[in-house]
This record gives sequence, C-alpha cells and structure tokens, in this order.
Amino acid sequence: MRSKLPGKHSLFWKLACLLVAFCLLMIWLSWSWGRYMDKRTGYLTDEAKSTLIGYAGEAEQAWNCGQQTGVDQWLQAFGKTERGWVGVLGPDLQSLSSYPLRDQEAQRMTFLRGLDWPISHINRVRPWIKVPFPKDPSAGYLVIELPQRYMPGLSQLIWRFLINGVIPGVFTLLLCVGLYRLLIVPLNQLREQANAWRADQLGVRLSSQTTSRQDELGELGRAFDQMSERLQTTVNQQQQLLRDLSHELRTPLSRLRVACDSEQGVEALRERLSREVDGMQRLVEDTLQLAWLDAERGPLPVEDIQIQALWEMLTENARFESGWPQARLPCNLDANCWVKGHLNSLAQALENILRNAIRHSPAEGTVSLNGQREGDEWHLWLDDQGGGVAPEALERIFAPFTRLDGSRPGDGGFGLGLSIARNALRLQGGRLWAQNTEHGLRVHLRLPIADPPHL
Amino acid sequence: MNPVAVQPSRLLAIEDDPVLGTYLHEQLVRCGFEVVWCQNGQEGLNRARDEHFDVVLMDILLPGMNGLQVLTQLRQTHALPVILMSALGAEADRISGFQLGADDYLPKPFSMAELRVRIQAILRRVALDRMPPQATVLAESALVLDEDAADARYGQQWAGLTRSEYRLLDTLQRNADEVLSKPFLYQQVLQRGYSAHDRSLDMHISQIRRKLKAIGYHEREVRTVWGKGYVLSASDAL
Repeated sequence: MRSKLPGKHSLFWKLACLLVAFCLLMIWLSWSWGRYMDKRTGYLTDEAKSTLIGYAGEAEQAWNCGQQTGVDQWLQAFGKTERGWVGVLGPDLQSLSSYPLRDQEAQRMTFLRGLDWPISHINRVRPWIKVPFPKDPSAGYLVIELPQRYMPGLSQLIWRFLINGVIPGVFTLLLCVGLYRLLIVPLNQLREQANAWRADQLGVRLSSQTTSRQDELGELGRAFDQMSERLQTTVNQQQQLLRDLSHELRTPLSRLRVACDSEQGVEALRERLSREVDGMQRLVEDTLQLAWLDAERGPLPVEDIQIQALWEMLTENARFESGWPQARLPCNLDANCWVKGHLNSLAQALENILRNAIRHSPAEGTVSLNGQREGDEWHLWLDDQGGGVAPEALERIFAPFTRLDGSRPGDGGFGLGLSIARNALRLQGGRLWAQNTEHGLRVHLRLPIADPPHL
Repeated sequence: MNPVAVQPSRLLAIEDDPVLGTYLHEQLVRCGFEVVWCQNGQEGLNRARDEHFDVVLMDILLPGMNGLQVLTQLRQTHALPVILMSALGAEADRISGFQLGADDYLPKPFSMAELRVRIQAILRRVALDRMPPQATVLAESALVLDEDAADARYGQQWAGLTRSEYRLLDTLQRNADEVLSKPFLYQQVLQRGYSAHDRSLDMHISQIRRKLKAIGYHEREVRTVWGKGYVLSASDAL
C-alpha cells in the first residue's frame, strides 16, 4: 500500500515538528536542569557558610584570648548550642583544646571538606567541615560536623520533584492547550455551522480565520463553505423556480377560466384550449429541462460538431418559424470551425439564443454568427440589432423566468431559453455571456475546439 | 408503399387511465388498426405472450405490474415492438426505457397524430426488415451510392459521407419523392426512438446537403417538409 506524502502545508508536518521539538526540549530541560540543580544544591548555602565562619571566628577569638582554656570554655558553651562533633585544631591537625583526638577522629581529619566543596547527597552521613580561622587562617581550623539543618537533601527532593514532575506537567498542559486551539477549535466552528444549517440558517459562513488556513483543516473549512454556498443557492433557486412556475401557470389558467365562463362558440373555445395547452406543455417541458440541466453535475458526453452545419440546421427551422430569408441570418465562419459539444443541448442552446435574437430584431434586421479561434477554444458570438438590454440586465437575462419590459407572458417565451442555454453550455465545458454593442445584443459562446475530420 | 393496407395491424394498448384509454382505443380503431385494450400490467403481459400483436403501446405507471417490468419480462421471450408512453418526461426515464429494449418512447401528453406517426414508423421498419434487400438501380440518377465504400459519388467526386449519413441518404434515395417521417428515419437509420430534443438526424441531413452541394450535385436535394419529415426530390432551384 502506497500513500502519498502529505503536502507542504499539511498539518502532519506541523504536528510532527511540534511533538519532536517538545520531546527534545523536555529531555534537554530535565537533563540540564537536573545537573544544574545537583550542583547548586550540592554546596553549602550562604547562610550555612556565614554561620560556620561565624563559629570559626568565635573559636579563633577564644584561642587568641585564653589559649587552650579559652578553647575548652568555648567548646563547652558551644556544645549546648550545636549538637555533633566539634573541634578546634592547629595547623598541624592537633587539637588546640585539652581533649586529645582519638584515633578514629584523627583518621577522619584526613578527609575533611572545605566550605566550598560539593557535598554528596548520596551519602547520608554528615560530613566534617574544615573552616579556617577567618582572621589568621594559618593559626588553626574549626572542624565541625555539619549540622543536620544545613544538609542539602530536603531542598534537593523538592527540586527534583519540580524538575521531573511539575515543570514537564506544566509544559505538557501548555502543549495540550496549543493543540486544542490548533485542532479542535476549528472543528467546533464546523460543528456550529452544521448546527446552524440544521436550524435552517443557510447564510452562516465560517470565519475567515478558519478558511484562510493552508492545512487540511483550512481545506475542510473551505469545502464546508462551498457546500453551504451551493446548498443555499440551490435551495433559493428551487424556491424561486417553484414560485415563478406557479406564477407562469396562473396566466394560461386564468385565460382558460375566462374562456370557460364566456359564451364563445365551440370552435373558438377549442382553438383557445389547444393554444393554452400547447403553452403550458412548453412551459412544463422547459422547466423540466432546466431542472434536469441544473441537477446534472457531470459533464455531458461530447462529440465533434461542425458549427456551420449546425447553423444551417438551426436557421432552416428559424426561417420557417419567422419567415426570414437566409440572407438575414449569415454565418461568417468557415467549414473548419469544429467544436466539442453535446449536440442536442448545444443545438437547443443556440436555437434559444437565435430565437431570442430574432424575436427582438427590428424589421429587416439581421442576426449574424461570427467567431474566432482563441487557443484551445472557439469563441463564437451572435449579434442582433435589437438595441440590446440595460447594462445591469446583462447578467439577469440568464436567470430563469426573467422577462425584460415589452414582452408579454406566453409571447413566445417564458424567459427560460437563455437560462437553459447557459446551463447547457456549462455542462459541456463551455461558457455563455452577453454584451451590448452599438446595434444590439452580442451573446458570446466559448467551446473547446475539435479537429476537423480528415477527408 | 403502404404495408398497413393489406390486413389491419393488431395493437395491444396497456393503459390504466380510463379516459385516455377509451380515447386511445377509439382513435386508433378509427385509424384502421385492430386494438385490444387492457388496463392491467399482468394481464397485458399475458396477452402479449399468448396472442399475436404487431405493436404494443404501454404506459409505465400501471397497476399490478409496472410497464418497465412488463417490458423486461416480455423481452425475454418476444421481440415484438414496444412503444412506451409516459408522463415521466425526464431524460433519465427515457434512457432507462430504451435500455430495457423499448422501440420508442412517447412523453405524455401527446397528440394522436404523433402517436400514429410513431406506430406507422415502426410497422414500416418491421415490414422493411422482413423484405429481402433489393438492389436498387437508379440509372436515371447521376448520383451513385456505393454500398462497399459506403459513400456517394457524383462523376469522379466522392462526397465523403459518414456511415450514418450514407444509410440515411440510401434510405431517402430508395424512397425518392416520398416524404419519410422523422420517427421512421430514426427507427430505420439510427435504430432508436425519436424525441423532440434529439437533433442527430437534422444534423446528418444538414451534413448531407453540404456534402452534396460541395461535389456539385444539384439535381435532387433533401428537402424538409414541415411537420412531416424529409424527402429527396428534384430541386426546384434549377
């Protein structure tokens, strides 16, 4: 099974970088702070140092004042304030007091610790500290078993707990908050939108903060927005279509109602009936056609179509319907203009446009088809001389049931023709739009090019 | 040439709506057909299997058994022509009807004239299928239709027709000066039913005209007879 590598903006890279960096940071912090704290807490605190130096000062003073007896007195007094072994020694490591050192004690004198030395926290035995006399260090030392309260240990436990427990915990919590904001907050927004749809608020859109993201969540947000856009327009269109259709049906129905109540002869009634039924049938067929084209998503199957032959076919019908001579319906394209299109719907589209043009043409006006090749497409345009439409109506004429002033209901059209044409073009990879020229309306078509068959 | 003349064709109409059914029955009898009308899908299927009919007209939404099911079952044993009539006018319904083997599909509402044209188109196609192919020698025409090349020649020039265009021109030539209806031409040449939005035949006609004009053949031309069909006849432009 092969899966594609996530894209450049994928969330995968963000998450991967974040988690790897976080892990490395935690390991490094724990290691370096651990070492740092071990060092820090392995030494005597300043308070301990100054206290011990103070004691050494007192011992020095006692020695200077009363020599051996002074030291003895001081030691006696000192034994009441500090517990543990204490001794005042000369430079030759011999006791300056009247108590001689026992062997065991003399042995310990060989590994005394200085004030600035680190103190092992593995060894639970209180170390003996050697403090030189502050005024004359060469005169002697105070050797003291470190008082229990100055032993590093309690603070070390607290530090260890902080470094290995609390700090990583706090950092992980921060990471969680970050991830939540990164991943779950956009999802919550999506959920809110889905709920809004459930409450029939189709106009609700996601914040631009979510949709402008480059990653998968941004894509999801944009897809969501597009979906709601599509949903909203579809629902609106359906409602509008239904309203318009009922409205359009009302006209022939009311005419029939009038015919029903009037005292017309059978022939006239039958003629009226047949005309109205034809009209309603056309309306229903066109509406169905539009609904079908609108519902159709995939492109229609296309074939190669020669525009010249298509135009000849359509103008033959148009000439019959309108009585126009061929000379008023010129096609200025040669036989090499072939497009890819769906024949039936393209013919219908062009026929609708042509009928529309003829209907709005003045007497003796012409409707002409022109075009030019533009890259991989044929750009065709159909000109009439009907004076065009108001600029703001150029887009509106493609909406269903749009009738501009001057055309009555049922007068040859329901305003569905151009709408059907646009949908038909869209479904075969083409485009349809309109423009005003100095004489009338110009309807543009764009269709993919096809190679003329080789004869 | 009128294959309906000798003996009246037997039609089976399966339609559940009494108003439309009565009208259909009445009008078709008036047109000279022998009509059996039944209102139920299952009954219609049984009769279509047991008796001889030339064409079956069938609604799709029927009580008992739906028209498409009747068609599916009927097609397993019988090849007789079926015309579906339905108010389901959507393109998809039409396509599924043809896929199941319907010969034609007529969306409701339709006029009796239209139905008649469709029935005659099918009857005529069936009659032509039964006849042995006859070699047409059109000595008087300068336009030579070459069966092997599937193309038309005028003097030394080939028109360059496609397969369908050739068959269309051939059919028109064999029945020269006779107006052939669009439903018949669809049945005979394109072998499918005709629908109002289908423009393939018109397009083929348009191409035939262009190609004949291009090789300088003006003696006869394919002319449109409005509301009826096409005919190959002498040009009046000369």
